[in-house]
Amino acid sequence: MSVEVRNIHKRFGPVHANNAISLHFEDGRIYGILGENGAGKSTLMKILSGFYLADSGQILVDGRAVSVASPEGAIRAGIGMLQQDPLDVGPFTVLENFIYGQPGAVRPDWDGARAQFVDLAGRLGFTISPNTLIEDLSIAQRQQLEIIRLLAFGVRLLILDEPTTGISAEQKTILFEALKRLAREDGLTVLFVSHKLEDVLELCDEVAVLRLGRLVGQAHLPVTTNALVAMMFGQELAPASRSDVVLGDSMLEVRELSLTSERVTIQGCNLSVRAGEVIGLAGLDGSGQELLTRAIVGLRRPAAGQVCVGGQDLTGKHYREYLAARVCFGAAGRLEEGLVSGLTLTEHFALVDPEQGAWIDWERARRIASEQIAHYNIYGRPESPIETLSGGNQQRVLMALMAAAPRLLVLEHPTRGLDVESSRWIWEQILARRAEGTAVVFTSADLDEIVTYSDRILVFYAGQISEVPDARRTTVDELGHLIGGQRLTKESVA
Amino acid sequence: MTRRSLVILVLLVAMLVTASGSFAQGGEEFVFGMILVGPHNDHGWSEAHYTAGQYVEEMIPGARMVYLESLNAADRPETTLEQVVEDMVSLEGAKLILTTSDEFEEDTLAVAAKYPDVTFINVSGDDALTGDAPSNLGNVMGAMEWGKEIAGCAAALATETGSIGYLGPLINAETRRLASSVYLGARYCYENYRGMDPADLTFTVTWIGFWFNIPGVTLDPTEQSNLFFDQGADVVISGIDTTEAVVVAGERAARGQAVWAIPYDYAGACAEAPEVCLGVPYFNWGPSYVQIVQSVMDGTWEQGWAWTAPYWEDLTDNSKTPVGWVNGEALSPEQAAQLDEFIAMLAESGTGDITADNIDDEGLSLGLWVGPLNLQDGTPLAAEGEIVPPRSVWYLEQLLEGMTGDSSAQ
Amino acid sequence: MTRESIPARRLIGIGVAVGSIAVALLLTALLIVAVNASPRDVFDKIWEGVGLAGGRLDMPRFSGVINFWIPLMLVCTGLLVTFTAGLWNIGVEGQMVMGAIFATWVAQEVSLPSVLLVPLEMAAAALGGALWGLLAGVLKTRGGVHEIFGGVALNNLANIFGIYLISGPWGNQGGQATPPFREEALLLPASSEFRVSLVALVMVGVAFVVVVMALRGTHWGLELKALGKSARSALLLGVPTQRNALLAMAICGLLAGIAGSIRVLFTYGNLRPLVSGGIGFLGVLVVLLTGTRALWAPIVAFFFAAIMVGSTRLNIALQLDQSLAGVVQGILVLVFILANGISARLRARRQAPAAEAASIPPKEAAHG
Repeated sequence: MSVEVRNIHKRFGPVHANNAISLHFEDGRIYGILGENGAGKSTLMKILSGFYLADSGQILVDGRAVSVASPEGAIRAGIGMLQQDPLDVGPFTVLENFIYGQPGAVRPDWDGARAQFVDLAGRLGFTISPNTLIEDLSIAQRQQLEIIRLLAFGVRLLILDEPTTGISAEQKTILFEALKRLAREDGLTVLFVSHKLEDVLELCDEVAVLRLGRLVGQAHLPVTTNALVAMMFGQELAPASRSDVVLGDSMLEVRELSLTSERVTIQGCNLSVRAGEVIGLAGLDGSGQELLTRAIVGLRRPAAGQVCVGGQDLTGKHYREYLAARVCFGAAGRLEEGLVSGLTLTEHFALVDPEQGAWIDWERARRIASEQIAHYNIYGRPESPIETLSGGNQQRVLMALMAAAPRLLVLEHPTRGLDVESSRWIWEQILARRAEGTAVVFTSADLDEIVTYSDRILVFYAGQISEVPDARRTTVDELGHLIGGQRLTKESVA
Repeated sequence: MTRRSLVILVLLVAMLVTASGSFAQGGEEFVFGMILVGPHNDHGWSEAHYTAGQYVEEMIPGARMVYLESLNAADRPETTLEQVVEDMVSLEGAKLILTTSDEFEEDTLAVAAKYPDVTFINVSGDDALTGDAPSNLGNVMGAMEWGKEIAGCAAALATETGSIGYLGPLINAETRRLASSVYLGARYCYENYRGMDPADLTFTVTWIGFWFNIPGVTLDPTEQSNLFFDQGADVVISGIDTTEAVVVAGERAARGQAVWAIPYDYAGACAEAPEVCLGVPYFNWGPSYVQIVQSVMDGTWEQGWAWTAPYWEDLTDNSKTPVGWVNGEALSPEQAAQLDEFIAMLAESGTGDITADNIDDEGLSLGLWVGPLNLQDGTPLAAEGEIVPPRSVWYLEQLLEGMTGDSSAQ
Repeated sequence: MTRESIPARRLIGIGVAVGSIAVALLLTALLIVAVNASPRDVFDKIWEGVGLAGGRLDMPRFSGVINFWIPLMLVCTGLLVTFTAGLWNIGVEGQMVMGAIFATWVAQEVSLPSVLLVPLEMAAAALGGALWGLLAGVLKTRGGVHEIFGGVALNNLANIFGIYLISGPWGNQGGQATPPFREEALLLPASSEFRVSLVALVMVGVAFVVVVMALRGTHWGLELKALGKSARSALLLGVPTQRNALLAMAICGLLAGIAGSIRVLFTYGNLRPLVSGGIGFLGVLVVLLTGTRALWAPIVAFFFAAIMVGSTRLNIALQLDQSLAGVVQGILVLVFILANGISARLRARRQAPAAEAASIPPKEAAHG
């Protein structure tokens, strides 16, 4: 099935999100849709998959104009989109979820559905059991379920919006293999929306690049990364450089810390972080990194051991006492943990402003918001509700909200979902604080990021923590093996 | 949001448009108001009053009833008795208002003072007896004690396990004396017709906390009825306004259990499960209300307090008896005969209505309320052969010795 | 900045509003016809019951509406606080009952002149309600009991406690209510025409203004708002979430307690079972409908009060089943909520997917 979009326009108020976009997609091919946050790629995909209506323009399937006025209509036309946040329902099993929404499902054919499901999953190499509860699935498994579901609906053009965000390297490999097989063997068309160039280079046959709502370039792969970056941003970018910083006093002391969750246990963790040091925590999702990041900001009570910040024993104290000790925390989910969806930028700044009295001085709050917006180069207005900002801008706001000159800055996936430019900018900010004597601890699924910015690297594997001997000389490849469970020489436990 | 404002605006406009003040009132009619504590079709207390009101309309040409049902804090938090009375008097032209619950006693007292030209009857209250009432407020109550004694007897005739459950509402003097009347009837018949030792009769009272089920607040009468049966009772007698006991017994009988029930208040209550119903003691307010309405219409009404006795000639003659009893289908012919004998005995001891004027007279009888009787804690109530004075029955302070259950809220 | 143009939004809003009113009226009329009554009569009688028949204000009857509105509005005001903080204070009924019980205790036990006694009663009621609200809050924050379940349990407890007091230690022979309070213990109506307690009326006004100003203007109000929208994020931004949740529950309980005291000190003049009468639940409904648009609460509350008071007239004059008013109310609420949903969907289809549009940054892309 070939799909064509012709001269698509979509405006949101003053913003021209899609401006005269025309593209042609052939069957059996995988297309990368590139562009920085806000370039219009998600809008285009949502138009294709029926979540938005285009203001003008046409969608043609096999040369025939079709109307995709709703997601259901799109699926009837053979177009299905995998959401960034899979829309499945919690307390049901995978199989129930799979059947849910299938046509003619007044009395579901359980055995048939199960067979179909197992068959599809097996062929795609997905490790997902039909009897698992949805809430027990990982993000990657939810994606797998969603893909199987869409395929069962007869979708011939599959759209994936940032599918590699938040899944492990292994799962990514499985996903890519499955997509390639679907394209090659079944002639499925795949649109792969991402800002991660390496993923696009690895997977796709062709790319289309959007910028500011326009189609600015198309290319058959392979091309160089730099050429793609140039298309996306109009110029090439260098990573934020890391200068050597003189290490200061110990900012964080973790002694014999034991942490337990249902999935993973950490025992006897020792860690000392000095002012100006950047510690990268590497590992597959759920290997225990988050237990540690949360324990050192007071959000998780340790089973045993001690946490000291700046010489002050804060073990078992409330998060707010850590905050008072100038520990700043940026959690992985920005809108779940950190920013308050529904509050404006001004309200956020008023909330954290220690100078505000009992009655809020809104004048002052607006002024500070404006200043911070300018200073942090945030695209948004003081009165914008925070959730209307893009991920990159939300991350900037999060940074702007943090107290000045923290002792310890703990960040989970600080650049997840951000485009190259925003990521670079965020790291400039982090490194600037580090230069002023802040100790930094961060996690990332992006091994490049860990290798690029860390002074020391801790590798987490099923709760076991080991330190990479020479962080500055390690490579992504080596790190990749380590987080997969390959043993280090057991010389040092951090 | 402008939408919501609009919604309200338009609704108000719609109400304005449809509103008009036309209101007709017949010249000859006599309007009486009836205020009910529960729904008019509760198959219990309130329905008995409602049908009596209809009976009045039938019997007295020109009499028209206006009623308000379910006046209680839960169902009508926005409405007070005073508002209802005002509505009935000023908009409907009511000259007589019947407030048919002792829940309304205090409010009726206050409102009666405000509307001296309107006659008020508070059912089951005692203000006209105590002298607290203004002269336009009277009380009436059927002497249900008789009916309850019959109910107790019927239960004793039927029980095979010797265990009877009584589903009580809340605890006050009225409910204590009615529960005790049941017990007296049961004990008498257990001994005299069944030939058993009355000490072996188990008579348990459970108070659910209110006149009808309020989920979460009262005990659930359905659950309590089941509990009675589970714990060995085979007859449950209802003292509450609604029909759960007979419904539960019906369900159990359908599963093959030998159980019975006796509902309360409303002559048609057996219809819920006739096959398990031993009979029902009921209020028949019609005759009293006809008499009251007629006397108010004629201008001959005088304040009074009346505790009206059954019409012994025929307990089912609804044109005469204020308190009735109908046999249920579950009563065997033999039991029915024994019950008739018992009723005849009661009829002989009956001494007619008790009023404010004669309540303290010697020799007034409420049937089995004859000594030796002790209160639950052993305090003597009446010596051998001594008739308990009706005033002491009306204000009964405890249950009687031999009954299981609380005499006051714990 | 990324919203659609105002006229378009208005248009949708107006369309949905007109549609939903039409549907609500139609359904109501059909229902009335179905029970063999005339819709015109029904509206007539409601209107009359509210005291607005014949183009002139029947003040005593209209007072009935106000008198129901006063406790309802106090409850709504309290619920605005908990609603802002994201708490479902279903326990507001029990908080009213506790307020009524505390006020009754003072009314029965304390002998003072009216000017001192009434404030003392209301203060006691505020205390009782606040404690009961706080208890639900503590159950939530310390015990992990969701405030809905805690609230339901505490409602029942309060009711059972009230009935126990009435039928036991505080009862008179009747057992249905406590004896009437003495005159000096009561809130009195302003006049025989305007039968509304001015004290209560002023209290509602003050409470509402203070609460709305606090929610909009104070740092505490902003903290509550953050807490309500995302407790986790609020915590991470340094908001003392537990303390604020408890405080919100206590304040709501305080106002509900005062509402309960008005029920006993004014409406009934004694303590009776179920004195809260579902006013708390009605308040929850009002606040749910108005959301954070606090200024609508008094109007919607008034509307509900009018329909309920007016519907008494329905039963008396037309002998319509008493549940009809509830059904009419239900239809209205349902249609409004449906309309809300529909218009939200309509807007969502048309509105910016905020993240996309907001971040098209000419400036940013140009920069380096």
